[in-house]
Amino acid sequence: MEGAHDVLVIGAGCAGMRAAIEAFDAGANVALLSKIHPTRSHSGAAEGGINAALGNASEDNPELHSYDTVKGADYLGDQDAIEILCTEGPGDVYELENWGAVFSRTDDGRIAQRPFGAAGAPRTAYAADITGHVLIQVLYEQVVKRNIPVYEEYFAWKLVEDGGRCVGVLAWNLLTGGLEAIPAKTTILATGGAGRLYVGTTNAYACTGDGMTMALRVGVPLKDMEMMQFHPTTLAPTGVLITEGCRGEGAFLLNKDGERFLKRYAPNAMELASRDVISRAEQTEIDEGRGIDGNVMLDLRHLGAAKIIERLHGTRELSMVFAGIDPIYDPIPVRPGAHYHMGGVHTDALGRTTLDGLYAAGEVACISVHGANRLGGNALLETITFGRRAGADASDVAFRTPEAQIPDSAVRDAEAELRELLDRKDGERPWKIRDELAETMHANFGVFRREDQMIEQGKIVEGLRERYERVIVEDKGDVFNNDLTQALELGFLLELAECMVVAGIARKESRGAHARPYDFPDRDDANFLKHTMVSWNGAGPKLGWRPVTITKWQPAARSY
Amino acid sequence: MKVALKIWRSNAETGERALREYEVEAPEWVTLLDVLDVIKDRHDGTLAFRKSCRMMICGSCGMRMDGAAVLACKTRMYDMVQAGHVPVISAMGNLPILKDLVVDMDPFWAKFKAVNPYLKTGYEEPPPGREFRISQKRMNAIQKEALCINCGACVSECNAMESDPDFLGPQALAKAMRFVGDPRDAGRVDRLEDLNGKNGIWQCTRCYFCNERCPKGVDPRDAIAKLGAESVKEGIDRDMGAKHAKWFVTSAKTTGWLRETELVPHTQGIVETIKQTRFALALARRGKVPPPFPPHVAKDVKEARLLYDLVQEQGRAGYEGIVQGEAALAKLAHGYREGERDPYGEGSFPRPYIAGEEATAS
Repeated sequence: MEGAHDVLVIGAGCAGMRAAIEAFDAGANVALLSKIHPTRSHSGAAEGGINAALGNASEDNPELHSYDTVKGADYLGDQDAIEILCTEGPGDVYELENWGAVFSRTDDGRIAQRPFGAAGAPRTAYAADITGHVLIQVLYEQVVKRNIPVYEEYFAWKLVEDGGRCVGVLAWNLLTGGLEAIPAKTTILATGGAGRLYVGTTNAYACTGDGMTMALRVGVPLKDMEMMQFHPTTLAPTGVLITEGCRGEGAFLLNKDGERFLKRYAPNAMELASRDVISRAEQTEIDEGRGIDGNVMLDLRHLGAAKIIERLHGTRELSMVFAGIDPIYDPIPVRPGAHYHMGGVHTDALGRTTLDGLYAAGEVACISVHGANRLGGNALLETITFGRRAGADASDVAFRTPEAQIPDSAVRDAEAELRELLDRKDGERPWKIRDELAETMHANFGVFRREDQMIEQGKIVEGLRERYERVIVEDKGDVFNNDLTQALELGFLLELAECMVVAGIARKESRGAHARPYDFPDRDDANFLKHTMVSWNGAGPKLGWRPVTITKWQPAARSY
Repeated sequence: MKVALKIWRSNAETGERALREYEVEAPEWVTLLDVLDVIKDRHDGTLAFRKSCRMMICGSCGMRMDGAAVLACKTRMYDMVQAGHVPVISAMGNLPILKDLVVDMDPFWAKFKAVNPYLKTGYEEPPPGREFRISQKRMNAIQKEALCINCGACVSECNAMESDPDFLGPQALAKAMRFVGDPRDAGRVDRLEDLNGKNGIWQCTRCYFCNERCPKGVDPRDAIAKLGAESVKEGIDRDMGAKHAKWFVTSAKTTGWLRETELVPHTQGIVETIKQTRFALALARRGKVPPPFPPHVAKDVKEARLLYDLVQEQGRAGYEGIVQGEAALAKLAHGYREGERDPYGEGSFPRPYIAGEEATAS
């Protein structure tokens, strides 16, 4: 892996690997870089499926899929990008199958599809309830087949901007220690989300928003950062994901009395309303005393043992291990938990950011196809479709770009900064700051948001950032020093929290995941049919706006 | 509750290795991974272990507890604490230790890559712009193998790899079966040829530790058995292991029992047999081997033959003939037994209803 790459992909989940495959097939010298082995990436934890209008379970077409996505997004999605996603999606899913993805099958041998929330047709292609796992395996198989080099267990820390271009990355080698400069003509961020901002999250420990903050630090704006999706069915106490596929297969949500309470919130779609609607309904039930220990109940009993074992075996295993509950006999206690960041690094539909040579794809990016609320099953599709598109454009651009070089000064400065952190002896270890951040974000920037709480959270984050200036790393060794990298991850999270709060306060309306029932209970298209754009201005976040692209669908009332 | 652990700390840089004991306060719901986190956060930031999803799907946190491989995130601590047991945590076996609980996974991935773990196209093309048409029943053949999360627990426990590190091992072979059993794959016979090579399937000692320790129910040993059956079905039987297996069948269908005396020549060939004549005679003197002539025919040999014919008739000569053990099936269904309890019986959660309507579920 000597010398500079044409394309360097940071992050090796579904979006990253799909981008690398595309760049390789275009003839580029491409490498993947990831802080965990590719198959450990959090894409693998996606359960329910991947949306595409294949029409295998009923009549369907990309236009219907687009409309559902636009409406699900509460009209904050950019409709040109959504149309690309839904039109190119079927081809992408077939390609995964042709590569060997082990999808579940219909009776006539096609890819099986199940109903999902806020979708007008059974559109979610699935592999039981381990779809993400199956996709991550097939993509890694294709990476191995092409012998694409992978910088495994390299922690990307700083993007390097030189002469108005991104010229590569500085990364800490976890296995042996040491900072390494890896130059590339184009760099694609595919680092996933930042669910670790919250104490109750479906996200892995690895989901610390690295790519978002790295982009922010080289002057690239983040878009719609207030839009954090709360998934309606996460398992207490830590927020392990229970798939929407359960409800797709017919599961009920019940309050403590056994009432299917969604009748009062989404009388038509019931359990298959959009995620923001259901999370709010659950939180209301819990807040008004109709929950059980802060949970509502997800009831699968009527599906029967055979269906549960065939199609939801992963869910059953998770419930049994983490809650001691066999869903064949008892309902699963669930509650809303932080799940997916609709917001992220601002890109266009080719994955380009505002910095030449820098791309983003997958959850780290905000194109935006999810707007204010993502539909279940659209995230995996986005990783594939826009991972592919970013890989294609990044290699095209790399072919006409001169060799990239990382200036020695960039390396020296970064090394000095790391040395200072490692040499620091007096101060606080990061875990307490990390825990306080996650607890307060949950309390003050959760399913429902109040202006005073958001302002308070801004102050809390500011205080935590001051404390972070004095954190110490206890491990001073070189081999597998994740005490160091976890401290750096906390730095990423803190800056993101500040961006989210600023954007959240500024959006004075309720739209999708951003619900302000106490002061601005309604959507306000006249003033806020636009994206928040946060960039970093010296010491703090600076807010801007950007219009939403409307092609076919004018904003309309949204109910399920 | 108070949770106590002993952890084998080790440092590849300094060569130090020591068993340290920790006791921490933790909630009752914690897993082993949660406890390690508490230790790293509040007691010793130098403790190294891998983690990511904490929901049994990323495969990062394979390690040993009391000498047997586990996924730390899947291991709940409550019962152990109640029993007063202080488990010993150490790095996985059969892989070099880098630091504490972190092993070098390179040898693991080298084996993974050695089986060409990707679909080989060309056997049959899918309809243009569409998927291959395959029944769920066909895909079920590789359902268990496709569950593998590459955690390394099976490799850690593999006795054959311990004696011969070149053996491909349970994970790579389960991955190989995932393709051999895939009707879309064009490389089936080539793969089987390769897998019958020096470090291939017949090196497995059938200790079943991989099945026992796999946290996902992949059952790698069963996958290896399927590969063996497929090989013999395809006439790839040059390995002693294949010949050995074939002789079992021949022996059973002709005389209804295993004629061990003939096993050696049929498995290892004439030259090897002559070399072992002295050993065989010594065994015979002590009454350990019955005389080969005249062959003893079992009383119910007809049943053995009928059984053989039945298997042939049903076309179960290859992987389909590998009957999953009851333990394996039970693991997959997590011990579910039909009719054990009424989900709506007394003491159960109330039946769902919609306010103002009749009960909605039966």
